[in-house]
Amino acid sequence: MSDRIPLTTRRGFITATSLGIVSLYGLWAGFGAAPLPWSTASREHAKPGRIPPGGGHAGHGAADAGLSAEEFRAATRDFVERYGLPDGSVQPARAMTPEGNSQTGHGAAHGHASMPAPQPAAPAEAIPAEAIDVYLMAYQWGFEPAVLRLDTGTAYRFRMMAVDANHGASLQMGDASRIIRLRRGTLVEQALTFTAPGEYLVYCTVYCGVAHERMLGRLIVT
Amino acid sequence: MSARAATLRETLGRLPGRDRWLIGGLIGAALAALLVAVALGAMTALIRAGAIDPSPDFGYRLMTGHGVVAFFYWLYFAQAAVLLAFATGGGAGRIALAPLAWLGGALMVAGLALAGYATIAGPPLLYDGAPEVVGDEPRAALPFYAGYLLLSAGLAGVAASAVATALAGKARTASAWSAVAFGTVAWAGLLLVSAVAAFNVFLPAAIWAAGWRAMPSNHTAGWHLLFHNMHYLPLMGSVVIWYAVMREVAGAASIVGPRFSKCMFALYLVLVPPTSLYHMFLEPDLPGTLRVAGSLLSLFIGVPTIAVFLIIVASLETHARTLGGRGLFGWLRVLPWREPALAAIGLASVNLALGGTFAFVLIQEQLAPLLSDTMFVPGYFHFLTVGTVTLTLFAALAGIIPAITRGAIRAPRALAGLPVLVSGGLLLFGAAGMLAGLSGMPRRVLDASYDGLAPESWERLSALLGLGGAVMAAGVAAHAALLLGSLLWPARAGAAPSPSRPATEHPPAGQQAWTGPVAVMLLYGAMFAATAFAFSVMRGLPLAGPGTH
Repeated sequence: MSDRIPLTTRRGFITATSLGIVSLYGLWAGFGAAPLPWSTASREHAKPGRIPPGGGHAGHGAADAGLSAEEFRAATRDFVERYGLPDGSVQPARAMTPEGNSQTGHGAAHGHASMPAPQPAAPAEAIPAEAIDVYLMAYQWGFEPAVLRLDTGTAYRFRMMAVDANHGASLQMGDASRIIRLRRGTLVEQALTFTAPGEYLVYCTVYCGVAHERMLGRLIVT
Repeated sequence: MSARAATLRETLGRLPGRDRWLIGGLIGAALAALLVAVALGAMTALIRAGAIDPSPDFGYRLMTGHGVVAFFYWLYFAQAAVLLAFATGGGAGRIALAPLAWLGGALMVAGLALAGYATIAGPPLLYDGAPEVVGDEPRAALPFYAGYLLLSAGLAGVAASAVATALAGKARTASAWSAVAFGTVAWAGLLLVSAVAAFNVFLPAAIWAAGWRAMPSNHTAGWHLLFHNMHYLPLMGSVVIWYAVMREVAGAASIVGPRFSKCMFALYLVLVPPTSLYHMFLEPDLPGTLRVAGSLLSLFIGVPTIAVFLIIVASLETHARTLGGRGLFGWLRVLPWREPALAAIGLASVNLALGGTFAFVLIQEQLAPLLSDTMFVPGYFHFLTVGTVTLTLFAALAGIIPAITRGAIRAPRALAGLPVLVSGGLLLFGAAGMLAGLSGMPRRVLDASYDGLAPESWERLSALLGLGGAVMAAGVAAHAALLLGSLLWPARAGAAPSPSRPATEHPPAGQQAWTGPVAVMLLYGAMFAATAFAFSVMRGLPLAGPGTH
């Protein structure tokens, strides 16, 4: 038997093989989900104040707008009044100006003089300027509005807040879901553009009490 | 020929009676807690499967009890027992600061009693105990938080005693720590960190519940930090136990020597605390730079575990080949698989590979919105908490119990076979849970039908979850009951089991050991495939917009 240490039992080999797990980063980078030192995207990703892409599909992040839960309730109430349909559902659209021109959705839901105009302190680079605002309030135990009617191919800026406890406002869309966590009193914005029609489930994925599983809503995308 | 080092069985057998009682008491509390936790967990899984239909209030109490007792009390009692037992292996001859350890054990028992009372009489909070879920009577949650504080204080006492014992052994023998002794001290250090983290999150909550200050605003962040430490802590303990079992049962010495192994154990101390970020990827106010850093850092946490796996497999393989083992995997037949401890850690390593494969999908920050808060999480982490850590703790207890009772384990052949049953149930539970999680089925709900709006597959997968959970629970309960029986009514001791070949400080040289590297390459391949698949599922969402790739 040789006294020479075989390759597979050398410390260097064991260390190098263990470090092989870091190669997973290369796969992430290949999917565009992790920055590389030489890529422009990496610098964009690390830019302070950027709303990060949640799940790689849309904007996601807390908008530190200083909006209180009460202010958000009022904004949601105004949104529902403005875009509510007789069947109780809500169908947001671009607001029309008195001159007949279309106005982008940002701030359209709170056009009343008495309403605050909540804007995120951090610029929402990931959210298109033409996106239509959608307000979604999570509370124990439901969503307001409970039914939203949306269009495919239209960019929406979802403005969401849990007003009493931590909640989820996740979207089940067939084979997979988009999980969204809401912290009490924190405004969360996500840019969403639906590419396929369907009826999607809105549900809470953060335990919020014994009726947690009764928290549900619907997105009807046509 | 150098003198043979005393085995753990021998050192434990020579401990004073009161020290053996202390370790035995902690083991008894751990196994009793586990039996309760398993019953509650099985009932929770059966509720999800629709097999039983209690009120939501009762169901969430079951879920709370399962999480608290399994994740905190079973794991902490068992770790405390193993820690003290291993600490005495350094040659101290007794447990140092024994009154502190006794007090610690008593506080932990008091904590368990309070946790039980709070679960029955207080609001159902689940194991994280978020204050905003408590409702209008914060005082009702005070026993819940106080239970955690007692547990943490007790744990700190036991961990301090274990460190003192290891130090006393080093001073008495005037020799360097073995890899296991060093690992034990590092493990105790992380336990102390964990106890501090628990105080950090539950003390403000308890003060609020007592009515002395406002509701804490940072409970969630504190919980994530605690939770992260908590589940890496027993994983680190597991690799220390594997080291000990390799030497005590299989008779194999470390192929790389103690210094390198100590470095790997120390890496846990360095890497575990900062990698907690990945639990917070869905938090709306976490900056993007921290998300990227968290993903990258989390990759490194796998390094020491894989290194220790390679060391142990190479050591066992080299040892088995010197005993005549042949072939890439044929050497495995040489090892004493009928020993309950070795059988348990054999399957624990397989389960670790399965759990690790999917855990590394979740550490990618952009995959978090696909999988976090879904059944994917319990699906994969049961491979770690039950399949890896619990089976490994069983392996340790199977060695410690006969030593402290000076008797023998009951039904060792059944104990050697039960990990197969546990792993079979776990495979079904984990596969169903992860598939359900991929399509978004939430964790922490009892009924995921959502008035018929949920995918039809969720009902079928929930049934499989219930079935797998019941099988897994039956295997764990049987294993725990046999160990508890061996503790309370030990069988008559026969000849002490001896390793197939006594361990030496210098393992035989010249043997290649390819099984470990091949297994790790397969693991990496599985991780790449699982991650790529998750990205493909995420891209299948009917969403477009900024950030779409």
